[in-house]
Amino acid sequence: MKSSNQDKNSASIGRRKFLSIGIGTVGAALGASYVSLLGSFLNPPSASGATELQSVGNLDKFPVNTPTLVSYKGSGVEEGVYVVNLGSEGVIALDFHCTHLECAINWVAASKQFICPCHGGVFDMKGTILAGPPPKSLRRRVLKIEGTNVLIGGMLV
Amino acid sequence: MMKWLDERLNLSSLIGSLFEHPVPKRSSFLDYLGFATLFVFISQALTGILLATVYKPTAAEAYTSIQAIQASPIGNYVRSLHSWSADFMVVLVIMHLLRVFYEGAYKRPRELTWIAGVILLIGTMGLAFTGYLLPWDQEGYWATTVGTAMAGFVPGIGDFLVRFLRDGSQVTGATLTRFYSVHMLVLPAIILLAFMPHFFFVLRQGMSSTDALSEAHKRGEDVSKKSLPFWPDVALRMIIVVLIVAVGIWVLAAIYPQGLGDPADALNKSHYIPEPAWYFFGVYQLLKYFPGSLDVVAMVGLPVVAMVVLFGLPWLDRNPSRSPKKRPIALGVAAAVVIGLAFLTYQGMSSVPKPIAAAGVVAHPSYKKDIQPILQSKCVQCHETIATYSKTVEKVTPSNPGASALIKLIDGSQQPQMPVGQEPLSKDQIQTMTNWVQDGAKNN
Repeated sequence: MKSSNQDKNSASIGRRKFLSIGIGTVGAALGASYVSLLGSFLNPPSASGATELQSVGNLDKFPVNTPTLVSYKGSGVEEGVYVVNLGSEGVIALDFHCTHLECAINWVAASKQFICPCHGGVFDMKGTILAGPPPKSLRRRVLKIEGTNVLIGGMLV
Repeated sequence: MMKWLDERLNLSSLIGSLFEHPVPKRSSFLDYLGFATLFVFISQALTGILLATVYKPTAAEAYTSIQAIQASPIGNYVRSLHSWSADFMVVLVIMHLLRVFYEGAYKRPRELTWIAGVILLIGTMGLAFTGYLLPWDQEGYWATTVGTAMAGFVPGIGDFLVRFLRDGSQVTGATLTRFYSVHMLVLPAIILLAFMPHFFFVLRQGMSSTDALSEAHKRGEDVSKKSLPFWPDVALRMIIVVLIVAVGIWVLAAIYPQGLGDPADALNKSHYIPEPAWYFFGVYQLLKYFPGSLDVVAMVGLPVVAMVVLFGLPWLDRNPSRSPKKRPIALGVAAAVVIGLAFLTYQGMSSVPKPIAAAGVVAHPSYKKDIQPILQSKCVQCHETIATYSKTVEKVTPSNPGASALIKLIDGSQQPQMPVGQEPLSKDQIQTMTNWVQDGAKNN
């Protein structure tokens, strides 16, 4: 009698434990499915996403050694790009956000430098970092010349 | 009505336990800061819902929808209330935190109330940060660009974090919509979820200032002479504090209505120089003192340390005493942090250029009237002390503008021309400065 009671007890504890684990597992699975849904839905587009080439004008619009600000029509906003005609070294496109905290840099013709008004980052005409807190050179964008037409694309990664 | 509810929910014993705890006769209005914050949050919820009935969270329409709100006097007032209440909420939350810290009220048995409070603080700062972008003006656009760019300094996942916050590589309409949903749904939900236990614990445990009385009451002493009932005596004091806060917000919102800057321009054709909301000026100023290689310390290290200290405070501070006199180290460290932040905030705010009216050339300029305003509008951002006479005069040779570094730097004869990275001073301003040096650079 005694032993059968014990058996019954241990069996019911086993059942309770089994059900607890089961309830916990189902709950965790439900939670995890929504978390993964959330993660996938909120996942941002990749950095090199917008690679559609856009024309920004004729090559003669960009005099040698005079960076010119043009606009790339991004998703929702215009993206500032400096087109720099380096003459014999070709033409490059620089993203106009400082690499420190992404303030908009200004081309200062007097000193032939890009200078950031926020924390004083200084870059040369090719976007190479010269002074200040920015950790790296200005980011480059895809630039293609078809005939005399200058085309700008997404970031060069 | 009350009886009907009581029969079903047995409310009276619950409410009795909440409202009948005795409160010391001498209580400070600082004990009601939490309640005042709750009031401001409710004000924010109401004005926020009103604004949401008109506001359109897209890059194309956000600015014009705010203009539409501004066009009617009542719309303008509601938006001002929302903006002023946001400032009040930040101030009240921080004052509440400092008061609780000073009183040692985060210690056992109120650790969990403190933790919920830290979540409420983070939620409040998050609301302030996400709300800043919504008008889609230059100020909000560039402050958000810089603010989210800071996440890029997190080692390893920085780039991903920035794109996650912005829903793309740049601040775009997608960012605006994302911030809108966070501002409207995510953060209010977090605040409500953290507020419920925060408030419940206070009701359950009473404020720490009532502990001594409660203990005496438990020992069987008669505390009625030393105490006031919460209802209605203390509640009256609380509602008066709330009324003062409310009138403060209403009056300030009426006298100083919230303006609207230029529309957001991602090309920044007007060379707008970004600046943060005032409560982030401390961080803004701190970044100027950190060399570039240590930026990761300022932007990631310090916030992480601050979070660890805030969340861990009830366990980091092992001193069991709540009396301020017996906690010199905790209060000393806190005082140093508060004074440091206040100083940085002041420095940051005073380094923002002030606009000046174009005055033409002044033949015999006065330092205070003509020269100082130019320095304050164009130079103090980088050279914080230049707009004081002693510092200005160091940079000039009186009566000899041609030999004065200050003049050579602003007219470009010495490179780099100042102000660096911005439009040079106007010809009139340069001539006025030159005339002042020519006159002997007097402190007049």
